Amino acid sequence: MKVADIVGGLIGIFTGLWVLWTSSNMPADVVMKIGPGFFPSMLAGGLILFSGALLVKAIQGKSKGRLESRQWSDVGVRRGLITLCAAILFVAVMEPLGFIPTSIVFLTFMMWVLGKRNPLLIGLVPTLITAGVWLVFEKLLHLSMPPGVLDSLL
Amino acid sequence: MGINWDLLVSSYSAVFSPGIILMICIGTAAGITMGALPGLTATMGVALLVPLTFGRAPLESISMLIGIYCGAMYGGSISAILIRTPGTPAAAATLLEGYPMAQRGEAGRAMSMALFASFFGGVVGALIMTFASPLISGVALEFGPVEYFGLAVFGLSVIVSISGRSLIKGAMSAFFGLMIATIGFDPISGFPRFTFGMIEMMEGPPFIPTLIGLFAVSEVFNEVQKTGKIERVKANIDRYLPSWADIKKTFKTLTRSSVIGTGIGAIPGAGGDIAAFVAYGEAKRNAKHPERFGTGEIEGLAASESANNACSGGAMIPLLSLGVPGDAVTAVLLGAFVVQGLQPGPMLYKEHMDFVYQIFASMMLAQIAMLFIGAAGIRMFAKVILVDRAILTPSIFVMSMVGAYAMRSNVFDVYTTLAFGILGYVMQRYDYPLSPILLALILGPMAESNLRRAMVISGGDPLILFSRPIAVGLMLLAVAALVLSIRGHRKIEAKLAATEGAGARGS
Repeated sequence: MKVADIVGGLIGIFTGLWVLWTSSNMPADVVMKIGPGFFPSMLAGGLILFSGALLVKAIQGKSKGRLESRQWSDVGVRRGLITLCAAILFVAVMEPLGFIPTSIVFLTFMMWVLGKRNPLLIGLVPTLITAGVWLVFEKLLHLSMPPGVLDSLL
Repeated sequence: MGINWDLLVSSYSAVFSPGIILMICIGTAAGITMGALPGLTATMGVALLVPLTFGRAPLESISMLIGIYCGAMYGGSISAILIRTPGTPAAAATLLEGYPMAQRGEAGRAMSMALFASFFGGVVGALIMTFASPLISGVALEFGPVEYFGLAVFGLSVIVSISGRSLIKGAMSAFFGLMIATIGFDPISGFPRFTFGMIEMMEGPPFIPTLIGLFAVSEVFNEVQKTGKIERVKANIDRYLPSWADIKKTFKTLTRSSVIGTGIGAIPGAGGDIAAFVAYGEAKRNAKHPERFGTGEIEGLAASESANNACSGGAMIPLLSLGVPGDAVTAVLLGAFVVQGLQPGPMLYKEHMDFVYQIFASMMLAQIAMLFIGAAGIRMFAKVILVDRAILTPSIFVMSMVGAYAMRSNVFDVYTTLAFGILGYVMQRYDYPLSPILLALILGPMAESNLRRAMVISGGDPLILFSRPIAVGLMLLAVAALVLSIRGHRKIEAKLAATEGAGARGS
């Protein structure tokens, strides 16, 4: 956890410094003495303080907890990365392609990634889940889902 | 402000209508299912299902969410007893006695006691909430900006101690959450802050997509990486309710733990996990045979389950009366209230008293629904934990995205959900707790706007913050709560370390 805590502490300090700098460019208030930048500056100070404490503890070797080691070759790590890419793609194409096709393809792909190989199962379950979610949101709750390419059919 | 009995009775009759009963039953069943699934917490359950309430009447929506909340608190015990994995953090203490009971073939006795204790605790919590929260809100009606700032500081003071194993990281999460809460228009001058010129950012990060990302999507990324098998015992479920002898044996423990649970729940920031461990500790301290604790003692199980369910009633007290959430789930509930156009706090009592009483009635009805649904479906819920993760996990992702999109039909909200999902995963991986961010998002704007208003009144003199007795009292309470929660946190840490050590020796 030591290296992770050092990196976390540094990220916290740099985030705090950036907020401090941005807040310093905000206009001051003549009545209250404190303007829109006051509260963020105060919070940035707190973040820098605790990030610094984490950094110091990590350098002193007093980091708490143990980080489960993960290698790029681990199946879990690869699944995580594939899921991340699939999730980004899902979000990017959900509106232009539409919820129904995107969701069916995503669920089928993810079930395959997570080890399902039965063609009947990975062919049927994603369609049923998508249809269920669509019916509940679109028909029961009247909340519109992106129709995408199926616009003329739905 | 006392109890208006006529209104209370009429609220019960309003809630006991088929439509509301159905919503509560659906919510409770969904909550038990969510709670029973390890990894799906009550917070995540409520967050994931909030979008289902969009477009429904406020009472229907809130009743359903209360059902989910209460159901999930009980549901967590099912997996704790059967597979030694607490379905929710609040059920962590339950496994200490529940799993050994299941191992020696008493899964039915353990599960029926968990259900009854949850019901008992829930009823006590709901009753205390009914009578205590109007009194507190009566005092809160006198609050001005200085008192509200004190209240926000009180809420924020306990943020540090929730759910994290490192207090420094908890504080970092809280400050980070508070900084996120400053994104958008400044509440006083209207100056846009940290928006990068994006119109969608002007109102700040959307609350529901943010919490769905933090609590549901992050768990999806976590879940897909797991490959290990779960430890399982043969679920010998031979009864639905505990025997009279068991009820008699545990009655004192149930009563004491329920009161402890409600009290702890009422402290903003202290959730069901803390309540359960404190009640468990008290039960052990008062037990005839404390040495039997850890080997499957039914009193320990009764203590933790009644306390964590009573906690839900307790957590509603500050939410309803002060507008400050008692735990992460009530923070999500607060978001649901706002979506419905209702702002919890003393004004809710003044302007929508009937609605407040209907919430009391819903809470009570949710306990009854939990008892019946829990007893009827005890075998089915025990099977829920065996649901195939290869199907469940991607489905949760799809539902999360749909939920994020549904509220405003805006794809920006979906990107926000994904971004916070990734952030939540990374934070959890490196032991940064997520709950402080959620509470900070709610309490941050309250702290800032009231601080700034107080400064307008005083013409910039900060001493105004210490000029009102209630505000000073709240700030002193904040200091006391901070000290107590840190001490409580350390006790739980020590207990967890001892349990892990015992588990390692036993395995």
